[in-house]
Amino acid sequence: MAKAKYPNPAFWREKDHIDWKAQAKNLKEVGGIIKDMVKETDWRAVGARWKGNLLATRDRVADEAKAVAGMTHAERVDLLLHGEKHLGRLYRSGCMATVRREWRGVGDTAYDFYEWMRMWGMFLTTFGRDLLPALNSTLYYRWAISYFCAHSFMDKNTMGQRGSALRMSHLMIYDIFRYVAENLVFLSKCDARNGNATELNKKVVLFDEMTMGQIMAGFPDLLGIPYQLLPVFLVSEVDQLTCVPYIDAIESFGLPADTCPVPSSECGAIVIDALPHMGSCFISSSMPCDGSTMASSYMARRFPDLPVFHLTFPVRYEYEETVEDAAEDIKHCIRFIEEKTGAKWSWDAYFAAMKRFNRETSFELQKWEVNQTPYPQIIGPCYELFRKWNYEMDGGIDPRVMKTFEKVNKIMLRAYERREEAWRGKMKYRGIVWSCPAHYYANFSNWIANCWGVDILVEMESLNFTRPMETEDTETALHDLARLYERMVMRRHTNGGYHNVVNELWRQCEIWKVDLIIMYQNVACKNMATLQGILDEQARQKNYHMIWIEHDLMDPRTVSRRAMRGKVNEYMRTVMGAEPVDPSLVEFEDDTTW
Amino acid sequence: MYHLKDLKHLIYFEQLLEEANNELVQQAQAEGKLAIGYTCYHIPEVLLNLGECFSVRLRAPRTGSIDMATYYMSNYTCEFARALVERGIEGGYNFLDGLAGVDACSMMNRFYEHFEILKMNEKPKFFVTHVDVPFKIEDYTVRQYVKQMRVRLLKYMEENYGVDTSDEAIRKAVEEHNEVCRIISEIGELRALENPPVTGYEFHVLNLVTYCCPKYLILPKLRETLEEIKARALDPKPWYRARVAIVGSEIDDPSLTKMIEEAGAFVVSDRYCYGSTPGREPIALRDDEDVLTQIVRHYMTTSECARYISDEKVQQRRDTADALAKKFHADGIIYEQMKFCDYWGFERALVSHIMNEEYGWPVLSIDRPYNARTSGQLRTRFQAFVESLEIKRIQKQGGKQ
Repeated sequence: MAKAKYPNPAFWREKDHIDWKAQAKNLKEVGGIIKDMVKETDWRAVGARWKGNLLATRDRVADEAKAVAGMTHAERVDLLLHGEKHLGRLYRSGCMATVRREWRGVGDTAYDFYEWMRMWGMFLTTFGRDLLPALNSTLYYRWAISYFCAHSFMDKNTMGQRGSALRMSHLMIYDIFRYVAENLVFLSKCDARNGNATELNKKVVLFDEMTMGQIMAGFPDLLGIPYQLLPVFLVSEVDQLTCVPYIDAIESFGLPADTCPVPSSECGAIVIDALPHMGSCFISSSMPCDGSTMASSYMARRFPDLPVFHLTFPVRYEYEETVEDAAEDIKHCIRFIEEKTGAKWSWDAYFAAMKRFNRETSFELQKWEVNQTPYPQIIGPCYELFRKWNYEMDGGIDPRVMKTFEKVNKIMLRAYERREEAWRGKMKYRGIVWSCPAHYYANFSNWIANCWGVDILVEMESLNFTRPMETEDTETALHDLARLYERMVMRRHTNGGYHNVVNELWRQCEIWKVDLIIMYQNVACKNMATLQGILDEQARQKNYHMIWIEHDLMDPRTVSRRAMRGKVNEYMRTVMGAEPVDPSLVEFEDDTTW
Repeated sequence: MYHLKDLKHLIYFEQLLEEANNELVQQAQAEGKLAIGYTCYHIPEVLLNLGECFSVRLRAPRTGSIDMATYYMSNYTCEFARALVERGIEGGYNFLDGLAGVDACSMMNRFYEHFEILKMNEKPKFFVTHVDVPFKIEDYTVRQYVKQMRVRLLKYMEENYGVDTSDEAIRKAVEEHNEVCRIISEIGELRALENPPVTGYEFHVLNLVTYCCPKYLILPKLRETLEEIKARALDPKPWYRARVAIVGSEIDDPSLTKMIEEAGAFVVSDRYCYGSTPGREPIALRDDEDVLTQIVRHYMTTSECARYISDEKVQQRRDTADALAKKFHADGIIYEQMKFCDYWGFERALVSHIMNEEYGWPVLSIDRPYNARTSGQLRTRFQAFVESLEIKRIQKQGGKQ
């Protein structure tokens, strides 16, 4: 069998049908906005700000030179070889970017720079496949501009990492951004206002970003795109302020502010028309929770001509009698896609992808095994994001991802044999993260390791379905697919009964031998909030250290990153009596930082 | 305000609503009956009235502080669910013999779970069920629902209490249920009259009583009340300034209806959870299909729950609101939601625009606390809405009052 290329090369070849008059009109409008901005800008203030920046840079350089001058010879050698240790210096109040790149030591800085270049190379090559619509997107959607700071995202998620940990993080985040870049181009090509690739649109199946991607494995001739993933979900991790206008728009429309910011942002994006107009059909979903269920009616309202299938699964997913019902819904969904696109479901393609997915899951389990030992190797935000992305969106469909798994596994096992430390010289506590994390603070586990030496060995959203998927019998395969979908990220724990999130936490604490529980408290997550007292009460009974950290998923205005860190600082100082590993990271301001 | 003569049993009915474990519940239990609690329309009420069982739709009347429940469930979750947890912790539902729960909305589901975790009821045979219900109506989801009813509800009633769940028993329960529905519907229909013999508040009380009391004990007084209302002397002219339909999430407190009526708006239609639409439509049974399937389909098709995700159900909800408002000659619609209710939060925000912009209804859109009777803010908003409806009517009549 010929090796399948991914993405299907036919997708790239589909022709755009750009309405040039409309583009000219839009360009004129954008030009007018820029002109107004230029007119309304207080250039004196801009000048003063630049002057301030230059002075601050001068002071910083002098300060750093002074620090180096005050070091012993051994400390200088250590700095040269292993990098800096006071990462708080990289932040400056009010700035969006860090003041400079991190010095990681000669070898790691060189490697880091190589990865920085590789990512740029990948972006340019991918966008170059259809440059015009891709660039044109930035004239329509403000979220598209946020992807220009993807490199900052990469930097902050690898902050403080060295050696094997740095290499593994780079490999994983590269795959995520390759997926992002490719899908950005496809979104731009398909968008009726932009590339308007009509033939490609016939092959595009949009699905709710909260729906897993594996169902598309059986349709190799179609392109499945998690619709709101790039304009809403992922970009909010890259740029913390992206979803704010969406949230404001939907709350002005009348949605209460207490609803989950994920569906709120999705609906807000619809209200301000921030989603591309595209696709042949849409798979909506009742997952993972009540808010997501309701967002589908907003979607139907905005795009009344887009045929919709509502993929709905039993909530009490552990009831064995419901598995058949869920499988039945998947069958109907497959039939719907076939009817709307004319494509045929291929069991061969599906089974091939699931074989890959099974192997990827076995690699994942090895990571868990290593992290459960006294020498955890693979931790930090890149891994956390990669696990979620692979489990939810990739799902074995992209054959290129296997190579990354293999490479990462090799590095990890070698590092384990050498008994390396994932955070060199910093590991003091073994932590677990529970509940849903703040989108605007994807690198929180990174900060907590660098600042307080808390190694987050695993997080709730990683601990999902790990049973091998059926790859031969079609009926059993549908049942397995149903089981997998029912145990999607978040839903696996917050649905199906309290024991899945309460009892499961204590079980995982035993397995991972943790000292500390980081309990995220999304102020709008009703599923978790309704168990707050029980979790608190039982943690005390079981003598676990539990730090409650409020946040509001995509809205940093409700609880800022700084306020989140404040909770940890307070607990570590007062309850744990701990000293920070890096005092420069205890207090700094990053309210507008990417 | 109206000057209609007080209904003979109104105070008695109001008293029944002052306690979940009211006089009639106690009487039925003293006679050896079993009280099965429930909250959600997704649990077919009629199935809880089989054999010796009777249904009690749970409320938390006279709710004051909900501090204990807030500790367990945080302060930004549904106040209704919290009020139930609070009352449960206080022992207010110790009388129950079973709790028929449904995993439909997350916060209500956690109420059922707290019932178990905190061991709120220690009767030896007490059970809590968690039924899984579908999000859309298809042949296979109807089958799924039926299966859930058998495995997750009827089986518990059979095994714990030996309840007869045969088709005959179900048909018998449907008969009694339908009589209640017919009486309530007949009274409810009178609200369509220009000068109605019943107020929205009275109707709310009557309807709630039928949810919270054993049917066989409440029926005699209901029948009498129906006759009394039919023969009631009317005010010389209608007492209200405007007519409004209510659409939205759970309302089990008639004082909210009273507050609206005190503002001058006659509540002509009650399309909310614990209201009469849905809930008081008689169930028509045929002989050519399994009885349980017919009942399940009845509840699925009549349900107006915002959780139903499919396009036709979304449309049904809008059409029902429109049809009720037209049928009962409403001047406007009040879209309401319990504060922190996700389903109705999203539904209200969107549909309150649609009902105004596409269906042409003046709409008041509100969120409200569970315990709304003391809310001055709500009262002001109701008063303002009534005034705006009056102004619209005057404008429509070309400025003539």
